[in-house]
Amino acid sequence: MAKTYKTKRKNRIHYGSWAFDIILVIFMAAVSIVFIYPFLNVLSVSLSSNRMISTGQVTFFPRELMVEGYKMLFEEQNIWRAYLNTVIIAVGATLVNLVCTSMLAYAMMMPDFILKKFLTIALLITMFFGGGTVPTYLLIQNLHLMDSWWSLILPNAVSAYNVFVYRSFYKGISPEIREAARIDGASDIKILTKIYVPLSKALYATFGLFSIVGVWNSYYEALLYIKNPDMQPIQMILRKIVFATGLSSMSNAQQMIGNGVMNKLNVQYACVVATVAPVLIIYPFLQKYFAQGMQVGAVKG
Amino acid sequence: MKRQKTGIAAAVSPGKKQSLMGKLYNQRQLLLLALPGILLVFIFKYIPIYGILISFKDYSAAKGVWGSDWLNPIWENFSRFFKNVNSGQIIWNTFKVGAMTLLFTFPTPIIFALLLNELKGKWYKKTVQTISYLPHFISVVVICSMLNGFGSTTGLFNDIREFFGLARVDMNSGGTYFLLEYVGSAVWQGVGWGSIIYLAALSNVDTTLYDVANIDGANRWQKIKNIAWPTIRPTTTILLIMNVGTVMNADFTKILLMQNDTNRSQLDTISTFVYQKGIVEGQFSYSTAVNLFLSVICFILVFGTNAITRKLDPDNSLW
Repeated sequence: MAKTYKTKRKNRIHYGSWAFDIILVIFMAAVSIVFIYPFLNVLSVSLSSNRMISTGQVTFFPRELMVEGYKMLFEEQNIWRAYLNTVIIAVGATLVNLVCTSMLAYAMMMPDFILKKFLTIALLITMFFGGGTVPTYLLIQNLHLMDSWWSLILPNAVSAYNVFVYRSFYKGISPEIREAARIDGASDIKILTKIYVPLSKALYATFGLFSIVGVWNSYYEALLYIKNPDMQPIQMILRKIVFATGLSSMSNAQQMIGNGVMNKLNVQYACVVATVAPVLIIYPFLQKYFAQGMQVGAVKG
Repeated sequence: MKRQKTGIAAAVSPGKKQSLMGKLYNQRQLLLLALPGILLVFIFKYIPIYGILISFKDYSAAKGVWGSDWLNPIWENFSRFFKNVNSGQIIWNTFKVGAMTLLFTFPTPIIFALLLNELKGKWYKKTVQTISYLPHFISVVVICSMLNGFGSTTGLFNDIREFFGLARVDMNSGGTYFLLEYVGSAVWQGVGWGSIIYLAALSNVDTTLYDVANIDGANRWQKIKNIAWPTIRPTTTILLIMNVGTVMNADFTKILLMQNDTNRSQLDTISTFVYQKGIVEGQFSYSTAVNLFLSVICFILVFGTNAITRKLDPDNSLW
């Protein structure tokens, strides 16, 4: 009796489990569409005619293909210049970040380093407490870094979190190698550049990519410190076109919008696409390295 | 530590009795390596902390932080903020946005990770994961540009409302709909990325536990409840502490973008108020004081939640 009951129950469970699997597969497909749809929709709208946009007929694919939005955007806004600015800032910030963080983390890893404890505490404090918007703004002003890319590169170059992750990564490299090199008369600078740096490529790839994307995506610092319109990064151009007077200053685009040929979303979403595209291009690389990065980060805890 | 003091390491690295100067000399290379990082942290993290002093002073650029006159009474900026008719609303907004964000962005990655973990088919699972991380890499300006269209009276949200026979509303004008938009986009952006850490924990689960559970005839729900959930519980606790600490620190750059003159009073949070008063209106001292008030609350929240956790669950507290 007990046995039959058990088999029956087991069968029911299998049936339920099978149904659960099917529902889960469908649910995850739906969720994936929710993640992707906004991207597809923005791309489609940027390429569709005003007639289709204003009647709400554009969803997954462009309707009545039209590239005028992109034309106007690249003609009337200096997008290439903004790209160049952003690349300079991102590369500069990432280089300063990688170099300074590696050097500091290497020194702090040494068990007998004289400032080890002091620096650990000093960095921990910055994780929980900071000066805030205005004192930093005044500092940048006093250093005469307004309208200089250094204002976007230097303030966040060294973060406590990165230093701690680097340090724990370096600790994972066997100290015997270091000591052996030292017997051969290698200096700390040499040990860092010839042993630790080559062994930490995965770390640098991960944090380098994060830094590049982080800088590419930030606008707030530029809003505070960069007034010169020729020095603005790409996010500020997008902000100007969607949330400020950028679009109304584009006379040809305005004319086309006035005629009903073009929708303002053509230009705005073209700019969104132009802003997102580079990130999506390096996404496969990000994808490859970030799992590693997350593991490295978890070691710290 | 021990290894350092034996053999060759001891001969090279400084001994116990070395003088401070000798030690400094021996470690000159390490000090040199650390110097750029130390300078950057000192200049860009510590000088602004020192700059907080101006919240108690009448800051003038000519006199500098130290030379500016002290306010009389010294807490004048703080009492001014609390006397402001809007301060209650601003503090409430900050809390409301932060709390709602936490309430929805914290559990969703956990649920998503648990469901992904149940998903059969390696390829399919990986594809869903890859897609789910994508929104994380999108900038706040892009998100807000999308929301601008999505939440407008002709946007998708209102198309759905109309489909269900509801009237069209402008989400971007503030109120509950703005909150929905704000929190919804935060969930959309964070759910996939946030699940990584839980999935990593789940991948370490002992598979024999599942074999045993199968023999015992446990159903899916029982397996999730008794195997998967206990595996990620410690991670959950730690992340919860860290997140509660940031409840008053919601991403204000998003609000800053979506604010305009018509919805400002409704959308003002402490951080946007700080920006408006300090950077736009140039009231440096007042703005810094309001920001200090926020920093202190955040600080108390982080340490408070950690203290509570240490009492309840000492193994999982942050420190």
